[in-house]
Amino acid sequence: MIDNALLVQMLIGALLGLSVYLPLAAGQLSLATPAFYAVGGTLAALLSTRWSALGATPAGTLPLGSFVLELLLGGLLAGLLALLVGRLVLRLQGIYLAIATIALVEIVRVAILNLPFTGGAVGIFAIPQPFSTAAGYLLPALALLTLAGWVCQRLKGIPLGRAMAAIRDDELAARCMGIDTTGAKLTAFVLSAVLAGSTGALAAHFLNTWNARQGSFDASVTTLAFVVLGGSRSWLGPVVGGLLLTALPELLRPLGDGRLVLFGLVILLGPVLAPQGLITPALLQRLGRWGERDQPPASESQP
Amino acid sequence: MIETLLQTLLNGAASGGVYALVALGYTLVFSVLGVINFAQGALFSVGGYLTFLLMGGTIGVNGALPGWGLPSGLPFALALLLAAGGSGLVGLLVERVAFAPLRRRNAEPLLALITSLGAGVVLVNLLQLLMGAEGYAFPPSANALAGLPDVLVIGGARIRTIQLLLLLISAAAVVVLSLWLERSRGGRALRAVAEDATTAQLLGIPSSAMVRLAFFLSGALAGLGGGLIGVSVSLPGPYFGIGYGLKGLAVLVLGGLGSVPGAIAGGLLMGLAEALVPGEASGWRDALAFAILFAVLLLRPSGLLGRRTVDKV
Repeated sequence: MIDNALLVQMLIGALLGLSVYLPLAAGQLSLATPAFYAVGGTLAALLSTRWSALGATPAGTLPLGSFVLELLLGGLLAGLLALLVGRLVLRLQGIYLAIATIALVEIVRVAILNLPFTGGAVGIFAIPQPFSTAAGYLLPALALLTLAGWVCQRLKGIPLGRAMAAIRDDELAARCMGIDTTGAKLTAFVLSAVLAGSTGALAAHFLNTWNARQGSFDASVTTLAFVVLGGSRSWLGPVVGGLLLTALPELLRPLGDGRLVLFGLVILLGPVLAPQGLITPALLQRLGRWGERDQPPASESQP
Repeated sequence: MIETLLQTLLNGAASGGVYALVALGYTLVFSVLGVINFAQGALFSVGGYLTFLLMGGTIGVNGALPGWGLPSGLPFALALLLAAGGSGLVGLLVERVAFAPLRRRNAEPLLALITSLGAGVVLVNLLQLLMGAEGYAFPPSANALAGLPDVLVIGGARIRTIQLLLLLISAAAVVVLSLWLERSRGGRALRAVAEDATTAQLLGIPSSAMVRLAFFLSGALAGLGGGLIGVSVSLPGPYFGIGYGLKGLAVLVLGGLGSVPGAIAGGLLMGLAEALVPGEASGWRDALAFAILFAVLLLRPSGLLGRRTVDKV
C-alpha cells in the first residue's frame, strides 16, 4: 500500500513539519511555511524549464548537479525572503504573527497565480526529472531530512538553541537576561524558510508540475497539523506527524470522499485527546532510559 | 463617470458589509474567549448551502442524495433567517467539540486554533460529501425579491437590487447587534464576561452560557453572510466560505482585535478598497486585503480602532 512515491511524499511532509517546528521552538507560531515552499518550488520549476545552462534535455531529464544546485537556490531565495519579511513580522506576537504569516501565504499565492511568467492557474508543467523513478527521490529527501534533523538536534547544545528555548518559555524574561531575542527568532524563521524552500525545489521535480495551489492556506493548516499531532517539544514530533498525516489520506483512499472528513477529525480531536502530541517529553525520557539500561539509573526525582 | 463611481462604491459597500459580518463573528468570540474561531469560514459555507436548500434548491448529481430537495421553497427572507439560525447551531456544536474540552483543562490557546481549523475542515468536507463539489446557482425565485426589479437605477447608476439588499441587510444586522451589545441586559452580560470572566461569574453572570451565546451569534453572522453572498453571486463549491473567512480575518486585524466598531469600519474599508481595484488588475484583488493587513500589522499592530496592550512582567 505504501509505494515509493508515497514514501517521498511522506518525507516531504516530515520536512515541512520541521519547517513549522523551527520557529515554534522559539515560541513563534508561524504559518508561513507553505509560502516559502511555494517560492522554492516555483524557482526550481522556472530554472529547470527556462534556463538551458542547467542542462535539461528535451527528453525531460536533468543532470543531478543541477538538481542539487536548485535545492540550494530554492533554499537561498526562500531564506532571503524570510530575512526581509522576518525583520518586520517578528515584531508581532502570538495570534498577530500567525495572521500576518497567513497573509504572507496568500500574497505569495496570488502573486504566483498572476505573475506573467509563472503559468497562471495551470502553472508550470513538464518539469525535467533528475531521476527516472520515484525511488530516486528517496535518497535526496532522506538526506535533506537527516541534515535538518541533525541541525535541530545540534540546536539543543548551542547558545542559539538555548536562546530559542528561553524565548519559548518567556520572551520578556529572556530579553531581560540579555538574550538577543530578535536575532534568535529571526534565525529560527530563516532556517525554517530555507528548509521549506529546498523542500519545495525537491517537490517541484518530484511532482513534475507546479502551480499556485501548492502554497495555500490549506497547506498552512496541514503543515501545522503535522506539528500538533506529532508534538512540538522535540524535533522528532513534527517528523512523525508529517510522515503519518501525509500517509493518512492516501491510506484512507478506499473511503473515497469521506477521507478528508476523517482527516479533519484527526486535526480536531488530536489536540483534545493528546494535547502534547504523540512524541511527548515523557515518552522520549522513557525511550532514552530504555536505551541506557546498562548505566545506573539517573538520580532525578521528578514527580 | 460619476455614475460608474457610485456603482463601484455601492458594490464595494455591499461586499464590505459582508466582510463586516464575518469580522464581527470573529470579534464576538475573540472578545469573550481571547481566541479566534478558525471554523468561521466553514460556517459561512454552511449558511450559503442552508439558504440554498431552504429556498427549494435540489442537490446535484455528485451529492449524496441527488435530486433531493425540500418539497417547496421558503421565501428568501425566511430562508435566510433560518439558515443563519442553523449556522448558529452549528457554531454551538463547534464550541462544544473544538473549544469546550480545551477550556476545561486550561490548554494553551494555540491548540484552540488547531481544533477549530480541524472543525472547519470537517464541516467543509461534510458539505462536499452531501452536496458534491459542483457550483450551485440559486433558484430564479431568489431574484424576484418581493416583486422588485433585478436592476435599480439610482441617479443614473445601475445597481443590482440584490447588492443593495445585501448592503441593507448586513447594515441592519450590524446595527441590531451593536445596539444589543451596548444596551440590553444580555449584551452587557456578554461584555462583562469579555472584560473579566471570573469577576462576571462572581457577580452571578453565567459565563459559560455567555460563551455559548457568543458562539451562536458568531455562527449566525457567518451564516447570514454566506446566504447573502450565495444569493447575490452563487455557490462556487463548499470551499467558498474559506476565502471569506480569511478576508474576515484581515478585516478583524485591520479594525483591531475585539473592537466592534473596528470590525464594521474595517469591513467597509476593505470592501471599498477591493471595489476600486481596476478591472485589468482584478487577479490581484484577492491579495489586496492581505497587503493592507500586512501594512496595518506593521504600522499599527493594535489595529485602526483597537486598544494598545502593554506586556506586564
